[in-house]
Amino acid sequence: MIEARGLTKRYGSRLAVDDLNFRVAPGVVTGFLGPNGAGKSTTMRMILGLDRPTAGTVTVDGRSHRRAASPMHEVGALLDARAVHGGRSARSHLLALAQTNRIGARRVDEVLGMVGLSDVARKRSKGFSLGMSQRLGVAAALLGDPQVLMFDEPVNGLDPEGILWIRTLMRSLAAEGRVVFVSSHLMAEMENTADHLIVIGKGRLVADCSITEFIARSSGVAVLVETPAPEALARAVTAAGGSVTREPEPGRLRVQGLSEAEVGGVAFAAGVPLHHLAAAKVSLEQAFMELTADSVEYHAALPVA
Amino acid sequence: MATITAGTSRPQAAPVLSVRGGIAGTLRSELTKIRSVRSTYWTMLLLVLAGVAWAVADCAGEAAHWAQTAPLDKANFDPTQSSLVGLALIGQLIIVILGAIVITSEYGTGMMRTSLSVMPRRGVLYGAKAAVLAAVMLAISLVTSFASFFIGQYLLRSTHETATLSQPGVLRAVLLTACFVTVSGLLAYGLGAILRSTAGAISAAFALLFLLPQLAKALPNTWNADMVRWLPGGVLVSQITATKAGSAVPHMFSAWGEFAVVGGYAAVLLVVGALLFSRRDA
Repeated sequence: MIEARGLTKRYGSRLAVDDLNFRVAPGVVTGFLGPNGAGKSTTMRMILGLDRPTAGTVTVDGRSHRRAASPMHEVGALLDARAVHGGRSARSHLLALAQTNRIGARRVDEVLGMVGLSDVARKRSKGFSLGMSQRLGVAAALLGDPQVLMFDEPVNGLDPEGILWIRTLMRSLAAEGRVVFVSSHLMAEMENTADHLIVIGKGRLVADCSITEFIARSSGVAVLVETPAPEALARAVTAAGGSVTREPEPGRLRVQGLSEAEVGGVAFAAGVPLHHLAAAKVSLEQAFMELTADSVEYHAALPVA
Repeated sequence: MATITAGTSRPQAAPVLSVRGGIAGTLRSELTKIRSVRSTYWTMLLLVLAGVAWAVADCAGEAAHWAQTAPLDKANFDPTQSSLVGLALIGQLIIVILGAIVITSEYGTGMMRTSLSVMPRRGVLYGAKAAVLAAVMLAISLVTSFASFFIGQYLLRSTHETATLSQPGVLRAVLLTACFVTVSGLLAYGLGAILRSTAGAISAAFALLFLLPQLAKALPNTWNADMVRWLPGGVLVSQITATKAGSAVPHMFSAWGEFAVVGGYAAVLLVVGALLFSRRDA
């Protein structure tokens, strides 16, 4: 289990991570979400003991990674797939890592097989595609058969096959009872992989809950209706306790706070004809945008249509 | 697609690293690292070639002009120095490349973060890296030093002024030259840990070993004489390789003294590097 308490990191005057408190539990895939620059990578580096917190602590199984008795068995991490010496062969790279923790060459060959790199084990990693580098990084993370796995933006730049591979891998690692902590700035990716979410924006904790809870909490379920008399329907819905927002298409309204049946009933009672009535599932992407709208570090100027 | 899980076949029970276990494993790891990149071999080859080539040029040249050499120069001629000074001079500048890149290449590629996450005890990693580097540099420097000496003496045989290892100071000069080259490499390693950039560390090492002694020449003579013995490069290579009073450099410390000067610079840089290595964010 990963546990952060009051975790804070300041670079000069910039607060990269601001008083984070969270726990990452085993057995599920935990997504670590936030816009670019939110402090995800900094947090992961602090978990690994690479960066020192300005305040607070973060522990893996109750102790700082810097004091791990068997570092590779405790945490396996893939922070940056390209962060290898390109002149070294895949096998030598893994062997050098394994030897520090007295892991044998047999295990090196085993993980090379697991990630499908046996055929290029003796090739220099300089010539590897991003997908192959990613597999090499995963092999390094798996070497020590770790209880905690961390992946920083693992699907960035991967082709669909690579994305599927990583996703399947993370799910199976979690199913084996491990802690799987994956960062991403893409909500859609997490929707398909994560069970639990830790969302941060500008270094601060925004949400720590299951995916379903996250969606429900941020927007709730909405009902989309289309009517030739939107004004009348909006009045009736508001009177019944719902809230209404106009959709871009003429005659379309988004209703929140009422169920589909309630909206239908209100319309019938008010004598407003409906052309369309359906529940709209709020996507994770939308929920995330709403939740972190105030905490995005770099706003793009939106083109005015 | 194959199912991939880490647990399909569990490796041996996770070893618990005592500090000592961590050191042994990390030494082996660093040896694997240094052996598995080409730059190590290129630098070593360059060191051997440059050292030997200089010895050949120097000694063959002396032998060719021996008949025209003035008697006083003949009396002061130091065949040991003639065969070793090139290695000391050029080897010092070549070895800093190896010393620096062993650590800066890990920063350049981002490998350092991986290295530190699998071996979070920073002192162990820093020390193991330095120890393996020192052993590799010492081995290749000794080979080059002895090769330069014997090849040089062979080329000087027509002068009948050749040195043997049993003569006073000769073995000391051969060994000290190798140690001096090694210590210069460690100095660059310390600079690499401090600057974390290949170009920065190599430039700084060149400035310290090569540029500074050149600049000191611009000083008034008396100042230069007082100053130059404290510098880690330049004319000190003559002192380290000298075996005769006539070939020694005036105003300098003894060969051992000058070696201690270089060692002092290296020690300070290694310690500062170690402190920064264990304190800074990686």
